[in-house]
Amino acid sequence: MRPVFSFARLTINGMRDNRLLWVLIAGFALFPIITHFADQPFWNDLAMRIMLLGMAAMGLNLVLGYGGMVSFGHAAFIGLGAYCVGISQFYGITNGWAHLVLSGMVCGLAGLVIGYLALRTSGIYFIMITLAFAQMLFFLFVSLEQFGGDDGMSLDRAEFGLIDLYDPLRLYFMIWCVLAFVGLALMFVVRSRFGVTLRAIKSNESRVEAMGLVPLRFKMTSYVISAVICGLAGVLFANWQEYVSPDIMHWTRSGELMIIIILGGLGTLAGPLLGAIVFLLLEEILPVLLGNIAPAYAENWMILFGPLLIMVVMFGRGGLIGLLDRWQMGRAADNDKRGA
Amino acid sequence: MTLTLILEQTFNGLQAGVTLFLVAAGLTLILGIMDFVFLAHGAQVMIGAYAAAAITAASGNFYLGLLLAIPLTFASGYLLEFLIIRHLYGRDHMEQVLATFGLILFFNEAIRIGFGPAALFSDLPPSLTGFVQILPDTPYPAYRLGVILVGLACALGIHLFVSKTRVGAMVRAGANNPEMTAALGINIKILFRLIFAVGACLAGVAGMMLGPLTAVQPGMGEPLLILSLVVIIIGGIGSVRGAFIAAIIVGLVDTLGRVFLPAMLRLVVDQATADGAGPALASMLVYILMAVVLIFRPTGLFPAKG
Repeated sequence: MRPVFSFARLTINGMRDNRLLWVLIAGFALFPIITHFADQPFWNDLAMRIMLLGMAAMGLNLVLGYGGMVSFGHAAFIGLGAYCVGISQFYGITNGWAHLVLSGMVCGLAGLVIGYLALRTSGIYFIMITLAFAQMLFFLFVSLEQFGGDDGMSLDRAEFGLIDLYDPLRLYFMIWCVLAFVGLALMFVVRSRFGVTLRAIKSNESRVEAMGLVPLRFKMTSYVISAVICGLAGVLFANWQEYVSPDIMHWTRSGELMIIIILGGLGTLAGPLLGAIVFLLLEEILPVLLGNIAPAYAENWMILFGPLLIMVVMFGRGGLIGLLDRWQMGRAADNDKRGA
Repeated sequence: MTLTLILEQTFNGLQAGVTLFLVAAGLTLILGIMDFVFLAHGAQVMIGAYAAAAITAASGNFYLGLLLAIPLTFASGYLLEFLIIRHLYGRDHMEQVLATFGLILFFNEAIRIGFGPAALFSDLPPSLTGFVQILPDTPYPAYRLGVILVGLACALGIHLFVSKTRVGAMVRAGANNPEMTAALGINIKILFRLIFAVGACLAGVAGMMLGPLTAVQPGMGEPLLILSLVVIIIGGIGSVRGAFIAAIIVGLVDTLGRVFLPAMLRLVVDQATADGAGPALASMLVYILMAVVLIFRPTGLFPAKG
């Protein structure tokens, strides 16, 4: 297996990765000003979707990129978080903070159970088992007729004390605050002793075991953390959509999260957010592009996206962050030559 | 009356089971021997169903549709392996997931462009629309019975092929230890391509037979793909025998669970709770079974690698 991620690259470029993450997050904070002057409120909606998917992808990246566990079922946690909002409202609990706490507990518990069962295995088994459990939850919600079943349930935006989420800008900055919090938390987690051990487990599990640590404990912890982050994204997703259906946890969404991470850069802090920007922009641009070439087929943009994905896998190494790295390394090498 | 219902549903479960087996048989070898995460196997089911439906519609002959679709699915599997898959062996599992996910998107969209987003319905020839008396006073659709028989015949054929022939011995050796098999001078590249094509062909047959029973539409193979992954986890990766037994178990549990679980719950709890929880529990039954197998046998019931 060729290495997708190298430990050395991260320590050298860790600083730049951090900087890029905060540049992106700062960009999202300033973005509403641009949309205000451009008079394009639709762009805010797109930015919110990017932040939500990026947040979920950042959560998954802890498991996927840093821990090396290929989980193909994280959409289920987004769905659980979203249904926490829907079902609590169904029973009359409208307080958003309560939804957040509930979602944290539910997703943490689900992550613990699924993680415990799935982490008994590795490799292909792990991928298939996480996918299968996600499908189990999907079909569970499809068959729960009292909560809308297949059609889903519409809901009101939750009450967060003074923050009225029906004001579009307040919703935007609520999502932004949570994104910044997740980014900050992940930065500390990744730099901590825990994060370093997690990466060590990825590169050589038996060596970590020989040092007297229990790898399973670290893997489980990271799995639970990432499940909780995805649940958080799910709660906000439900509030943003004002609607939740099993579609939110369809297995293709798990695939999308994985695409976003690989597109951006595996095992980097900024990668998932960068990937989400590119992925959702492609989703907007490809239909327009196709519409210009072949107007009848504008809706069938997936016919371009599928092969594009295969190309990224076959020819792209390390995602967009890797591309940036190579470009900067090339420039540094040129500078060296000029200096000599 | 109840006995008739049980018998009828058992046959339906068997029919679902053999169909699942046809999908899982090739996939378990692809996962086990080539260590390749192939998510686009569901697309092969779809290709088979569309090929058969299109040829049937064009020629007006159902059997001709089936007969011509078989080599077509074989060719599609062969070409897919040659063009794309063989470049991805030995890559990171995640990259394989991504590439085959891209393939799914491509195939679904290509079918949508070629045949439209609506479902195709193909009619059965009059000779297959009748009923067969499986027991006195217990009629069962002839076509479904035919599906069971074809599935069982395929299973027997695969079993004889894998356990009695020289190529079958190579396949078994490959499942057990691919490096050693290659070191013994067996052309593993050709072997891989053949397994891939035959697997695609079997999945295609499953799709062709499902065509008249369900709607032929883009993405129709995906639910089947995920259930067949459950089958493979239960049966053990790389084991055709395990896939067969697990497929029958999963088919029966799923079908019978959906029909009888709500009624059984009603005996234990009150009606309202049973009606609410019954369908939910029934849809999770197969996955609960998988979790139980995982707890006691993490490598499945019949692990191929010793």
